Amino acid sequence: MLRVAIIGCGKVADQHVNAIRRITDCRIVALCDRELLMARQLGDRFQISSCFSEVDEMLKVAKPDAVHITTPPQSHFSLASQCLRAGSHVYLEKPFAITAEDAQALIDFADKCGLKMTVGHNYQFTLEMLEMRRLARKGFLGGKPVHLESYWSYDLGDTSYVGPVLGNPAHWVRQLPGQLFHNIISHGIAKLAEFLDDELTEVVAKAHQSQELGGLGAQEVLDELRVLIRDKSGTTAFFCFSTQIKGRNQLHIYGPAGTLSADIITGSLIRNQTRSFKSYLTYFVPPLNNALEHLRNLRLNVADFIRRRLYQDFGMKELIERFYNSIRLGGPPPIPYREIILTAQIMDEIFTQIYGDRASKPLTPMRPEPAVATGE
Amino acid sequence: MNLAYIASPGDRILVTGSNGFIGAKVVEILLEYGFSKLHCFVRPSSQLGRLEKALDQFDAGENVELIIGDLLSRDDCEKATEGVSIIYHLAAGFDKSFAGAFMNSALATRNLLDAFLKFGKPKRFVNISSFAVYSNLRLKRGALLDETCPLEEEPQERFDAYGFGKLKQEELVREYGRNNGLPHVIVRPGAVFGAGKRELSGRIGVDTFGIFIHLGRNNILPLTFVDNCAEAIVLAGLKPGVDGETFNVVDNELLTSRQFLEAYRKAAKGFRSISIPYPLAYGICLLWEKYSKWSKGQLPPAFNRRRCAAEWKGNRYSNRNLHEKLGWEPRVPMAQAMASYLSQFGTNGTV
Repeated sequence: MLRVAIIGCGKVADQHVNAIRRITDCRIVALCDRELLMARQLGDRFQISSCFSEVDEMLKVAKPDAVHITTPPQSHFSLASQCLRAGSHVYLEKPFAITAEDAQALIDFADKCGLKMTVGHNYQFTLEMLEMRRLARKGFLGGKPVHLESYWSYDLGDTSYVGPVLGNPAHWVRQLPGQLFHNIISHGIAKLAEFLDDELTEVVAKAHQSQELGGLGAQEVLDELRVLIRDKSGTTAFFCFSTQIKGRNQLHIYGPAGTLSADIITGSLIRNQTRSFKSYLTYFVPPLNNALEHLRNLRLNVADFIRRRLYQDFGMKELIERFYNSIRLGGPPPIPYREIILTAQIMDEIFTQIYGDRASKPLTPMRPEPAVATGE
Repeated sequence: MNLAYIASPGDRILVTGSNGFIGAKVVEILLEYGFSKLHCFVRPSSQLGRLEKALDQFDAGENVELIIGDLLSRDDCEKATEGVSIIYHLAAGFDKSFAGAFMNSALATRNLLDAFLKFGKPKRFVNISSFAVYSNLRLKRGALLDETCPLEEEPQERFDAYGFGKLKQEELVREYGRNNGLPHVIVRPGAVFGAGKRELSGRIGVDTFGIFIHLGRNNILPLTFVDNCAEAIVLAGLKPGVDGETFNVVDNELLTSRQFLEAYRKAAKGFRSISIPYPLAYGICLLWEKYSKWSKGQLPPAFNRRRCAAEWKGNRYSNRNLHEKLGWEPRVPMAQAMASYLSQFGTNGTV
């Protein structure tokens, strides 16, 4: 039985509890929040009696095998270090760390401790993303991707999140080097990082503020971002984050022999094999194939609904389960460390380009603490 | 000083949520009563239109102190409660998540209560709650729902984050009353309506599925016009001898859901709805709830028996406490209140 603890009992912690409760052979043994009342409200609702306000005490008393950290990113480095020092594996909510340097230091420390880490890029593990990965590995693309496109929409209509962020310059999101982008884009960037080489030759980022956000105030917050990336082998990638393009969370991978398009919102994966058709068949066969692909997705979604697999947090449950299995069975963690670091590097570069000095000097610096090695 | 009140015009009064639908009206009525040493607490992100409009009506409005802050910050709470005698706590969190609702309701209230005890001169804490805290699951249809009725024990099952936050907020206030001797009053407004709030109460129905489904039918709605509600709140903070009391706020003349919707339909042109009887609504909610459990949350339990009962079962309501203990009388009769509400749609509807 894997003993699990959660640090940070805010909004996202509910999702973690629900996802963990779907997994067999694990149990949430402790909740911790610097506001004890927050830990208790979560504990009351899910019948978890062991609640703490001090991380050290929680680690000492509950001795969890794995800790989920769902606090604002500024605290990730120090809390994760604390958990690793106490001998617990760590699941960190996104973004993994404030900078790539911190991300690397954390991973090095985890390795030194003989412990595992992962990051909450749960949208990498939705049903259509799992299928896309399987097909890409099987060779559907016909080689290394030539080009990638990742779109991530964010709806400003949800004012329960955006309102406090825009109205309060001291809000933790506003204190991040990349502000609003920093807290959201890692999902979309991580999708690209999976298919890019470690060595990038070019990252060009441009950002601006939409008229809608301008109308809501907070002049220095940007919400429209476009990024062009090229890796050493020549694969290019485009990333688009937008509050104005609605309902478009997609990844397109273009290979020499085929294209895969995953749509997170509709839970669809469209396969498209590069083929030419004679004469007028070009106008008839590919549209028919596309229609059949959409019908196939409809059939799969209905089947998944009947099988009770189409729940909202499937990706999170899948990622957590794979992480726990890697702890139990000793395999590699579900998200390779190189992807975590590459994602952080791309984000560092984006924020430096669009926010300049502000991004290169984080407002709340989080330097690596001296690592105290614990037993391996 | 009006001897009928526990505070004099020289006392400082704090109003949280002072730019809200009810809060701005509370400020307006306090100024009308002659209380001008007001601290109006607003969030940094607030658009201040409603509050400015209220302040502009009174010369004393110029003396009102605007405090911009976040109740989740203890420093901001300290700043707001300095020397304050009465707090009208109207700030509410409408977060969809349980944690968010708890944070904005209970945690914010805890900070405010601590600061009030430490930096204020507490005469009374008026906690604005909601009818959402009640459970009528075991009440018969048409039974009287008053301040003695049971509170919701399973807000998680009811899938009502707002109600959960309000329940926890009330628990905290009562705890501070017991343990710290804090004089307090709890006010639970019913369905507050008025110009400036266009949407229909959930007790009338839902528009989740693209068309408005009328579920309230012949149920009496616990309506209170915003001016009437605000005056009840103001009196709850001022009248002597009501510490520890709870007040439901509903107007004298109440309409049925059907009457309200008909008036709304005339004013809001192009509005269409279908009507579903309660037994059918209950059956659908039961099936939805069962499926949600069986599918382990593939469909969230947005419709369930507890919610169905709370919103659409139908009860009678009493404002006897308001009349007897606060001497409250609605300042705006229902016909005038409805005309004011409907005027925002461009035509004057009649009931």
